[in-house]
Amino acid sequence: MAEGIRIENLVKTYGSGDTAVHALRGVNMAVAKGEVVGLIGPSGSGKSTLLKCLGAVIEPSSGRMIIGDNVIYDGGWKVRDLRALRRDLIGFIFQAPYLIPFLDVTDNVALLPMLAGKPNTVARKEARDLLDALDVGHRAAAMPSQLSGGEQQRVSIARALVNRPPVILADEPTAPLDSVRALAVVDLLNSMARQFDTAIIVVTHDEKIIPTFRRLYNIREGITVEEQNST
Amino acid sequence: MISLAGRDILHGWGKFVLTGVGLGLLIGVTLSMAGVYRGMVDDAQALLDNSGADLWVVQKDTLGPYAEPSSLNEDTERPIRAMAGVDRAAGVTYLTMQIAHEGSDVRVMVVGAEVALPGEPGQPPHLLAGRRIVHGHYEAVADVKTGFAIGDRVKVRRNTYRIVGLTSRMVSSGGDPMLFLSLKDAQDAQFDKDSDAIVRQRARTASSPVLNPPGYPAVAEAVNAAQATSNNVNAVLVTVKRGADADQVAAAIRRWQRVTVYTRADMESILIDKMIANSARQIGMFLVILAIVSAAIVAFIIYTMTIGKIREIAVLKLIGTRNRTIAGMILQQALGLGLIGFAVGKIAASFWAPFFPKYVLLLPADSLRGFFVVMGICTLASLLAIHAAIKVDPAEAIGG
Repeated sequence: MAEGIRIENLVKTYGSGDTAVHALRGVNMAVAKGEVVGLIGPSGSGKSTLLKCLGAVIEPSSGRMIIGDNVIYDGGWKVRDLRALRRDLIGFIFQAPYLIPFLDVTDNVALLPMLAGKPNTVARKEARDLLDALDVGHRAAAMPSQLSGGEQQRVSIARALVNRPPVILADEPTAPLDSVRALAVVDLLNSMARQFDTAIIVVTHDEKIIPTFRRLYNIREGITVEEQNST
Repeated sequence: MISLAGRDILHGWGKFVLTGVGLGLLIGVTLSMAGVYRGMVDDAQALLDNSGADLWVVQKDTLGPYAEPSSLNEDTERPIRAMAGVDRAAGVTYLTMQIAHEGSDVRVMVVGAEVALPGEPGQPPHLLAGRRIVHGHYEAVADVKTGFAIGDRVKVRRNTYRIVGLTSRMVSSGGDPMLFLSLKDAQDAQFDKDSDAIVRQRARTASSPVLNPPGYPAVAEAVNAAQATSNNVNAVLVTVKRGADADQVAAAIRRWQRVTVYTRADMESILIDKMIANSARQIGMFLVILAIVSAAIVAFIIYTMTIGKIREIAVLKLIGTRNRTIAGMILQQALGLGLIGFAVGKIAASFWAPFFPKYVLLLPADSLRGFFVVMGICTLASLLAIHAAIKVDPAEAIGG
């Protein structure tokens, strides 16, 4: 299977000299398209720093990052427009859905293709198709405040998928949910990863869903250890 | 691309419109203040236009008759009439006073004008109703703003006058409506002494052997008559013949008479640059303060609205929205607020302008200028919020 994202020896150090904080000490990861992996670790282990590096929000200190076929970091950013990179190559799912409250469901999803320059009608059609695929097509005209928590989470997943990115970063997507709903979200992510051929990295410390991942990356003191889940 | 600003405004339109209305009332006050100034200038110009004069002849070295007291003998007009280039000349008096009418006081400018011939300078140039003054005494023409009606009787000093005609836009430079009397009546009203003063003056005349020589009672009578009447006017209004140059006629009058002569341009300068100057500065200060207050309000509202959306802005930036798109959203909201505010302000100012006691003139050019100033203020006011939005780190959307 083609790789959605590959990280080689990624290092992130805050500060310098005696006060330097080594958040990432040489992280290695590779996630194939269609695969969902878990990223776990205790607080302060570097999960958030890694997520921000993967999301091209902060710049690593060294290492290499490849998303799809694009080398985006190799000792320095290899793309000039990081916003366009995030828009086109990376999908984001947050702990809370963070939908834009003044846009209806369709436009919340269609906003990304619109930002990428697609005509409004094309972007809205893509959004509606995706909402149908996620079983929230019937709420396409609703405002976010009119949706249930589960519906909002599905819309946020649709937003992450709409530009067909090679990788999606999901930050604690099941934290506020009970076991049944949390497992349903993981099932949905697995299904979407396969259907849309995208790699999904789920950052979590949710004990309910950790056993569902076939592969896990456990990060401790800035270094990842790959684990195969036997359950 | 959809309009993020438009969607945000529609989402919370009630709050946005109410804020716009509040701002609009402030803008309405600002436009009205400008209208008050324009009204003062227009009143001054109406005073000059309606006097029908090309030249104002006043007491030497005074700024009369509107800005300073001026007193001339009414006979001054006769040699002026005979001068080359002069078409008409007529004496006028001006006296601002309170007149009791139907249980309340009306502040008016009593104007005395020569009434023997129609069209003499100083007479009201047009009538809305009734007729001009044709009798030498006890008739008056009033501006409609006095509230007088034809047939009303009004008391000016010791005498009562019947309103025979109504005119309009005849006001003093201070905006007081005019009441026209015959020149003689107005001179009586302005220069007559009270009864006690006359009695004392007669006693003084009677006790003076020079003014009351024994065996010649007619001398004292003549002196008393001269002291009890006045032949003074405040100014002589002059119109020049068609084709004559007003400046040249003014120069000739200055040369041959011991008087001061003002042309229309001179008089405009006295009224607008000298009399209204302080009021204009006062209004200007208010306008500056109101502009600063408006800017502060818009800045505060837009900043508060932006700070309330920090998380959404972080998400927008994280998913690839450009800073200029976010800045555009904030700017459009500020301009939208200004647009609503201006529309409400213009409507409000137009609505309440007629209720002001003095003339409020809302010029379209001032409104246009006001519109651009409001938009400029809104643009500047949005900069603070734009700065805050641009500083938002997209990482804030990611936990940790």
